[in-house]
Amino acid sequence: MTNQSKDVIKSKTPSLFPAKTKAQVTLIFFVVLGFYLFSMFWTQRDMVGGFSNSLSNMFTVIGKFFPPNLSVIPAVWGPMAQTIQMAIVATTFATIFTVPLAIMSAQNITTFKPLYYATRTLMNILRTIPDLVLAVIFVGLFGIGILPGILALFIFSLGILAKLISETIESVDMNPLEAMRASGGNVFQVIFFGLVPQVLPQFTSFVLYVFEINIRASVVLGLVGAGGIGLILDQQLGFYNYPNAMAIIILIFVVVIVIEYISNKLREALI
Amino acid sequence: MIQFKDVGLVYPNGTEGLKNINVTINDGEFVVIVGLSGAGKSTFIRSINRLVTPTKGSLLVDDEDILSYRSRELRKLRTKVGMIFQNYNLVKRTNVLKNVLAGRLGHTGTLRSILNFYKKEDIGLAYESLQRVNIAEKIYNRADELSGGQQQRVSIARVLTQKPGYILADEPVASLDPPTSHQVMSYLKKINKEDNITTIVNLHFIDMAMEYADRIIGMRAGEVVFDGPVSEVTEKTFEEIYGRSIREDDLRGGADES
Amino acid sequence: MESYTLPPKPEKSLFKKIKAILITVIIAAIYVWTFLGIDIDWARAIDRIANNFARVIPNLFRPDWSATAEVSLSILETVLIAFAGSLMAAILAIPLGFLAAHNMTGSRILTTIGKWILSAVRAFPDIILAILFVVAVGPNAFAGVLAIAIGSTGMLGKLYSEVIESIDMKVVEAMEANGANKIQILFYAVIPQIIPEFLSYAIYRFEVDIRASSILGIVGAGGIGTMIIFAANNRNWNEMGLILLAIIIVVTIIDFVSARIRRKIV
Repeated sequence: MTNQSKDVIKSKTPSLFPAKTKAQVTLIFFVVLGFYLFSMFWTQRDMVGGFSNSLSNMFTVIGKFFPPNLSVIPAVWGPMAQTIQMAIVATTFATIFTVPLAIMSAQNITTFKPLYYATRTLMNILRTIPDLVLAVIFVGLFGIGILPGILALFIFSLGILAKLISETIESVDMNPLEAMRASGGNVFQVIFFGLVPQVLPQFTSFVLYVFEINIRASVVLGLVGAGGIGLILDQQLGFYNYPNAMAIIILIFVVVIVIEYISNKLREALI
Repeated sequence: MIQFKDVGLVYPNGTEGLKNINVTINDGEFVVIVGLSGAGKSTFIRSINRLVTPTKGSLLVDDEDILSYRSRELRKLRTKVGMIFQNYNLVKRTNVLKNVLAGRLGHTGTLRSILNFYKKEDIGLAYESLQRVNIAEKIYNRADELSGGQQQRVSIARVLTQKPGYILADEPVASLDPPTSHQVMSYLKKINKEDNITTIVNLHFIDMAMEYADRIIGMRAGEVVFDGPVSEVTEKTFEEIYGRSIREDDLRGGADES
Repeated sequence: MESYTLPPKPEKSLFKKIKAILITVIIAAIYVWTFLGIDIDWARAIDRIANNFARVIPNLFRPDWSATAEVSLSILETVLIAFAGSLMAAILAIPLGFLAAHNMTGSRILTTIGKWILSAVRAFPDIILAILFVVAVGPNAFAGVLAIAIGSTGMLGKLYSEVIESIDMKVVEAMEANGANKIQILFYAVIPQIIPEFLSYAIYRFEVDIRASSILGIVGAGGIGTMIIFAANNRNWNEMGLILLAIIIVVTIIDFVSARIRRKIV
């Protein structure tokens, strides 16, 4: 306090920002910068030739991917379709199972606190585990194939969807629900008539959003043996067949863009 | 008939909502409860359909003590007691017909209602109710496309569809302008007379209470401080109920505009 | 028998009816295609899980504590990858965000180009980018940093452009009226309005990137993912249990801290 007032007297003209804020911002800036420099040092420590060398190398290596061998696309269309199907199945089941979970983790509907906290915690833990890690574990359980992939996507999207939807439920207008109770509706009727119409558009929009996430996730599941196009990509990379790999990457890119475009249009139509 | 016998209610946080209430409301009466906000009007009304549960005494609806009711009986009670709210409490994204049909929920099986298989009679009844409050032409509009007065009429139609023996109205005109307020009160009064439905309305506007009520119950701090026919009420009565002199904002006004 | 009048049927245009039917048919077709195409060998799957369950699941809950040091170091690397990557992205995304905001460039073409670049970048899953960078700069953590940096730029750029589009242009107008030049307007009217949101989104993206960088090791781009793939290949489920625990703890802590900081900023 005294320091600050001394400063002000010394400089005569007041600073645009309080001295304390200035000091804080400077400190934060240097901490972030320091941590960044340390990160850069650490992540490059076992790089042959250092950053500059590999950067110049990068373009020649990336050149290996070109031109992509587009003639493999018909051959990989089957696994690509399988990838989309995995995402559809996982999203569908996640949508169904999310309903009870979302209701149980919405504070305004589930008035029984232990149930609310239990579902919340479970969902929070579930969401911290990346989808590919889930896939690795499910592959360990079921062996290589699409089932572990579908299960991984299902569990992962369940976590996201239940959180988003329970938050939507918590923000609804509770008045109609009171009216339904007052006219003698039972729990199911109150939920169905008072709650569902209020959350339905958001619900559909979130389902589409999660479907997009699942499409992106499903294309790489094959890298750990969980089915779909990623498996082929992994093989091609293993054989150093970069033009084929690039063709697959382009196919993935196009499919993701097309599906996102459709999903976006649908979402706009809904809201 | 509704009988409050020594009814008291203490909220979990310790506030006393109702104190020692003894009131009998006869069939077909149009009763207006007046009092300042926080006087216990809302708690009084909500006790009758058990949206809140009194902690003391007994409350008889059609000679049965409703305080012991559990889920099934409670829903049965609620089908018989319709309720109108200050904020209309319609599902805003749903159309008018579906909102009105919600009044039949207590009479309809869960599965049937969820699959939208309402009985033809119920749909007919809903339509008839909408006609009675002159809003049938909005049947397929979404509730949020309607004005406040129209929404309140829809909520009256919802209650009518319920075929109740009693109607409770909790500050039904507090969010409306004067002409619309009178319109809504007129509909309530008309239904009360035509169908002989006992109607209990919370109001804080003195002039409206005087105009529409058969009987006025005054409440202050959770207690009934006045109970008598409208003919016995004077300005002095209100000053006693409110514990202060009458002010401009205690009046709704605009009766001649409607 | 009670008499009643039914309400008039709702008027629905032919177009709407056809649309509803068409959508139903398309969705039905997609599901038929999906469920006919999905081929799961249930007998084998059940057989496998019966064999593997006892070997995998209980061990996940009995972490191999002897690997603590190694796992800690790996997870630290994951955090460093995510940090360096998201910081790079937070800066790279600024020019792109301005380019894609229609109220800044005043040119439809530039805005469209900006939006296209951003959505193109977004379409690549992080791990595909990691594959490309592993080939380019070798199998090390820096490939992961680059993958995260590029991958996050797409999303951050989009969020930034939305923030810029939502600013109060009246302040800009007032400055223009004062005779301020473009750079002055940028620093005095635009930046103060966008800084809190930019920071908040960048920190949020760091949360997302922690999750993303924890799997990059699967394709050789450093971090804890490397250990995940080794543990899986060696069927060392006790070690996997410890890795999972580490991920859950770190992600939870970072989510919590980041949420606190973001609430303070905005």
